[in-house]
Amino acid sequence: MLQLDRSTHEGEPVLGLQGALTIYEAAEARDRLSAALDQAPCLRLNLAGLEELDTAGVQLLVWLKQEARRRGRTLALAAHSPAVLEVFDLLQVAGLFGDPILIAPSAS
Amino acid sequence: MDLDRAKQTYIIEARELLDSMEEALLAVEQEADPQEPVNAMFRAVHTVKGSAGLFGLDAIVRFAHTVESVLDRVRGHKTSLTGELVGLMLECHDHLAQLVADIQQEAPESAEAAQEGDRILARLAPFLAGGLARTEVQAPEALVVPARPALRGRPDAGRDCWHLSIRFSPDVLRNGMDPLSFVRYLATLGEIVHLTPLFGTLPERDSYDPEECRLGLEIELDTQASRSTLEDVFEFVRDGSEIHLVPPNAKVEDYLQLIKALPEEPAYLGEILVAGGCLTARELEQALRRQKAETYADGAVQGRMLGAIVIQDNAVPPPVVAAALDKQKKVQERQAQELRVVKVSAEKLDRLVDLVGELVIAGASAQARAGAAREAGMLEATVTVNKLVEEIRDNALSLRMVQIGDTFNRFRRIVRDVSLELGKTIELQIHGAETELDKSIVEKLSDPLMHIVRNAIDHGIEPLELRRARGKPEAGTLALQAAHDSGSILIEVSDDGGGLDKERILAKALERGLVKPGAALGDQEIINLIFEPGFSTADKVSDLSGRGVGMDVVRRNIDELRGTIEVETEPGLGTTLRLRLPLTLAIIDGFRVSVAGASYVVPLDVVIECLDLAPFLESERNHLVNLRGEVLPFLRLREVFRIPGEPPARERVVVIQHGDQRCGIVVDCLHGEFQTVIKPLGRLFRGARGLGGSTILGTGEVALILDVAQMMQLASGGRPSSRAALAQST
Amino acid sequence: MAELIKFSKRQTQALAAAKVERREQYLAFTLGGETFAMDIRSIREVIQFGGITEVPLMPPFIRGVINLRGSVVPVIDLSVRFGRQATAVAHRTCIVILELTLGDGSAELGVMVDNVSEVLSIGEGEIEPAPAFGSAIRSEFIAGVATVSDRFVILLDVDHVLSVDEMSALIG
Repeated sequence: MLQLDRSTHEGEPVLGLQGALTIYEAAEARDRLSAALDQAPCLRLNLAGLEELDTAGVQLLVWLKQEARRRGRTLALAAHSPAVLEVFDLLQVAGLFGDPILIAPSAS
Repeated sequence: MDLDRAKQTYIIEARELLDSMEEALLAVEQEADPQEPVNAMFRAVHTVKGSAGLFGLDAIVRFAHTVESVLDRVRGHKTSLTGELVGLMLECHDHLAQLVADIQQEAPESAEAAQEGDRILARLAPFLAGGLARTEVQAPEALVVPARPALRGRPDAGRDCWHLSIRFSPDVLRNGMDPLSFVRYLATLGEIVHLTPLFGTLPERDSYDPEECRLGLEIELDTQASRSTLEDVFEFVRDGSEIHLVPPNAKVEDYLQLIKALPEEPAYLGEILVAGGCLTARELEQALRRQKAETYADGAVQGRMLGAIVIQDNAVPPPVVAAALDKQKKVQERQAQELRVVKVSAEKLDRLVDLVGELVIAGASAQARAGAAREAGMLEATVTVNKLVEEIRDNALSLRMVQIGDTFNRFRRIVRDVSLELGKTIELQIHGAETELDKSIVEKLSDPLMHIVRNAIDHGIEPLELRRARGKPEAGTLALQAAHDSGSILIEVSDDGGGLDKERILAKALERGLVKPGAALGDQEIINLIFEPGFSTADKVSDLSGRGVGMDVVRRNIDELRGTIEVETEPGLGTTLRLRLPLTLAIIDGFRVSVAGASYVVPLDVVIECLDLAPFLESERNHLVNLRGEVLPFLRLREVFRIPGEPPARERVVVIQHGDQRCGIVVDCLHGEFQTVIKPLGRLFRGARGLGGSTILGTGEVALILDVAQMMQLASGGRPSSRAALAQST
Repeated sequence: MAELIKFSKRQTQALAAAKVERREQYLAFTLGGETFAMDIRSIREVIQFGGITEVPLMPPFIRGVINLRGSVVPVIDLSVRFGRQATAVAHRTCIVILELTLGDGSAELGVMVDNVSEVLSIGEGEIEPAPAFGSAIRSEFIAGVATVSDRFVILLDVDHVLSVDEMSALIG
């Protein structure tokens, strides 16, 4: 299950992703995120609440990044949750996005 | 690729592997040289982990990985296998078994299971060098991630690594697999020195299908794993995926070959390889130039096959190439040692045996008709067919045979646990483990055997002080034995404990109203009272021998298997329980006889010979025959079964042997040997005496199969059961 | 969803108001001149009596076993079970094959009767409790009596009449 909540940060709209972004959510998420991309010149995604991410989810984010470029928008990812960080690290995709990543001290 | 079926196979195999792990753990304490069991348990955990990796069962992979690491240290003599570690390993086994059970139930990974696992892993930590392997986390700082994937280690680290190029099938995600699991698993095989993800240009807007996998990976993996291990990792995604493996220290040409094979731009791919440290930019450049020179006139590029093994759907790598490149352990060695075994589903086997059974009946029917038609050619043909059917029958039945050793070995764990719980030391001896019997019998035997074993441990073997006082060795002995004997299988459970107390048994039976006071009972009859329903001599009911589950249930279970159970005991010395069971429940070789026109079947394996009665009759009144000097009792089927009418003038006798006893069965007519399928008589006839089932003859007629053991009792004692004995004595 | 609920409520109300009867179907047969009937739900088929293999040392209510397309099926003489004379074999004698569900599966059982007449549809309301006197048959064997076209039909409680546990206890 994926929930999107809207907020603003320093006047810019931010979309927070809560829950899971996996193959089960991918189809619906594509539509909602694609729509969100059309609504502002810059789409900021807050990933702090994302607890589960699989290959379909990563791929969707990569697609979103490419779409942003095609449509002349900007996509920024922030507040990567531990689950997101693990997957990004495994697949070494951070470089594709270019967003700064904050690595917190070990919580375990 | 049927994922569900494959997963089911995994579950079955994992269970077997865990069983062998447990067996090895229990054996290691007894063996003089523990190296073999240690290797066995390591292999078991290693394989469980590996196969779990194929299915993305991350919880199992994670847990098994640490267990494997500890066992690796044990087998490398860096850690010793103390009793404490054995106990801890048994807990690891139990946890893995639980994880596998959860997979089978399709239960989601529970938090408790994860916590339990972590707790056990924490206790394993002291046995690992420098504690548990933990992913090192960087210092708490904000890091700006570089644009390219980082190379961990030396700039040319890629050379010593296996290079894996993977282009996943578009359906991988839809089929329930996740490439992430493979990467995680590869990380347990070694170190991922470099990884580049490739998504290509994804389609725009609505043309983009988010469930279609577009991921490709270029990986440098520093590992000792063999080619086949790496190939196996991708077994379930091989269909539709493109996978290329280039071994370490490959030539530049090999990488070129790879680049040609991959769909992306050669320049881009070249960059990735350089970034991965497989070759330098200069080497790449030079090789590309050389390659151009080798282009043939028709534009086709003839590369050199040596070096790059391409794995695609159903393609088999040339053996020469595999041998030349493979510097790892020889796969051939391992395969030669593996048993050539095929797994068959139990349902298919049952269906086959059923069909063979029907074939046997149909064959007999055809032969009967051919005989009646008196057509010699036809008769000969049906006889030939039936001979072949007999062979098929024997082969099919042998497929159902399993060794009883598997069941016996399961008791090792129980004996160990129970002995610890009761504070008794018990040595379990197993003989005849390779004795085979029908798998359905084995399944139904496990409960009664369990009960007998528990009884022996709980009540049979005396507590330590009592054993010392009696001058017995401190460790009690429990022996499980199995052997074939004249068409039956004989199983004995004996202990060197205190034996059964006749006085106590009689007292309890009187108390429970099973015997009337003043009844005169022989020693063996008293002992056999333990099989009466409602009987139990346990002073306090311990958890083990069960409340309300008595030897009567055990006997009923054995009855249902058409078997017999006897108990022999010596006060102070011990007790032996003897079970005798038929080898198979399904098909019987029989000898047909008839009385008053109705057919009966005597199991052929007990028939010694058939004669006319008159010449050998010794005494009609005492029902004795004299067989060349040997005097045997006989029974007349007509009398025993109270069939009305007079016997014919010329009667026949069938001499049978069961165990070490012989007797004769007198009938009207003999009809000869035949084979047929046993049809059980059903619950209604459970109390029927003298009958062990029924069968359908070629004529469609129903014939009753005689229960030889009960027949023997009827012939020699005249008393069909101890119950009747009690009734008669009151 | 709401539609469905409304309909069910209406239906239950109608049922309560009209006291609609449930009608069950019974197979009627004769034993020694009397008409009995059994709920057809457990009846698999009816076959003509064509020979039987006797099983020795059995109480008389067990006539024996037959071969029913490769299965060995026991046959009970219902008349004897009711404490009467054994059923005489005539050309209309039948065996009614029942499938009984037991604790650990199901079993087939044959019941021998003089003849089989018809299938009756009897409503719940038409069934009276068994008379306290008269029939020498054990009361727990009888589920009730009904009058159908001037005929008195005794409905059997099959689970009791053909209780495998009770019968097998009688044997062993």
